[in-house]
Amino acid sequence: MDELDQAAPDRAAESEALPPDDEDVEEGVDRRKFLARGTLSIGVVLAAGWTVPAAAYVFGPARKSDTTEEWVSLGAANKVPVGEPTLFKTTVVRATGWVTSEEEIAVYVLTEDGRTYTGLSNVCTHLGCRVRWVDDSDGFFCPCHNAVFNKDGSVATGPPPRALDAFELKVEDGQLFVKLEV
Amino acid sequence: MSIDDRTDEVLDETLDAEWMDQRTGWRGVWNGIFLRMIPKVNWSFTLGSATLFVVVNQFITGILLTIYYVPSPQDAYDTVLYITNELPAGWLIRGMHHWGATAMVALAILHMLRVIYYGAYKFPREVTWISGVMLLLITFGFGFTGYLLPWDQKAYWATTVGTKILEVTPVVGESLLRIARGGDQLSAVTLSRFFGIHVWVLPAVLLSILGIHLYLVIRIGISAPAKREE
Repeated sequence: MDELDQAAPDRAAESEALPPDDEDVEEGVDRRKFLARGTLSIGVVLAAGWTVPAAAYVFGPARKSDTTEEWVSLGAANKVPVGEPTLFKTTVVRATGWVTSEEEIAVYVLTEDGRTYTGLSNVCTHLGCRVRWVDDSDGFFCPCHNAVFNKDGSVATGPPPRALDAFELKVEDGQLFVKLEV
Repeated sequence: MSIDDRTDEVLDETLDAEWMDQRTGWRGVWNGIFLRMIPKVNWSFTLGSATLFVVVNQFITGILLTIYYVPSPQDAYDTVLYITNELPAGWLIRGMHHWGATAMVALAILHMLRVIYYGAYKFPREVTWISGVMLLLITFGFGFTGYLLPWDQKAYWATTVGTKILEVTPVVGESLLRIARGGDQLSAVTLSRFFGIHVWVLPAVLLSILGIHLYLVIRIGISAPAKREE
């Protein structure tokens, strides 16, 4: 059959001499070659059927960021006395893979005019102890190594390398919100 | 041709099929497996290969599932949900493993029926048949142990009932039940040992016997359908 389908002999010789283009491949393929190529093609498709989802599946968690920024409510803004840092606590749920954990976040909120608010972390930048606002000394006091931070968070005395971390705050409808990485 | 000439000729060759064949003899193995002569057969003779294909699928998708699955009562169900709902293509990987398991049992049984129908279990293929029956039993073992691993209600109670069947064995029934469960009740111990059996013990046994099975198929050749006498 294949021989009968071939065009004139000179045409066949020509197609042998030249590198085959698509049309010539169609004519020059015998049954054995066709089946071998077909089997190989099916194999490639099947291999792709496994490897493409596998790659997405394996690399998926690496492509997604674990943390997103979120505004978390702290409570009514009018609870903050003017000029005195006030501690607010809230919990955030963090999800890593299939494990969720609750973490308590504490924020010292300060307002000097009752309209604009600033937020400071209560975690000492030295070794991570919790600092406490002491009204009498007008500073944040860390019990671990006697560090003192000023009202604006800057270091007054002691070993901390930098000021207390600041949080971004906003007030909506009288409610305080803090921007956290969840 | 002197030995020196031949050495030069060998050294001149680049890394190609010929080069590799001279050092590994892969071509003989390849031809023996894929280019062996077979009798004229019908489509039912592909059922063994189809089963083998699903086995390959089970290995690939199973290995992928273990990347995230954790066999503990606290994590098992959560990790399965995570795989199914959170991970890209996780539903597909799990689905392929789930449906592949059913397909493996179905295809193995159809393959077995074909062998029975054509009398292919007879001389000289008795050992092939026996190894095949062992492979089917291993497949059931895979199904039974794998069913528990999602650790949902269906899995829990199916395994409760399934292991309970062991108890009716005369004399040693109660011991068998305790061995299967790793205690009186289904627990973390049961889940952990079913996982170990499912991903280590059974695959090792399956590969060993599958190797024998395929070796025999290639060594003896497949049976031809019986011909009507002239």
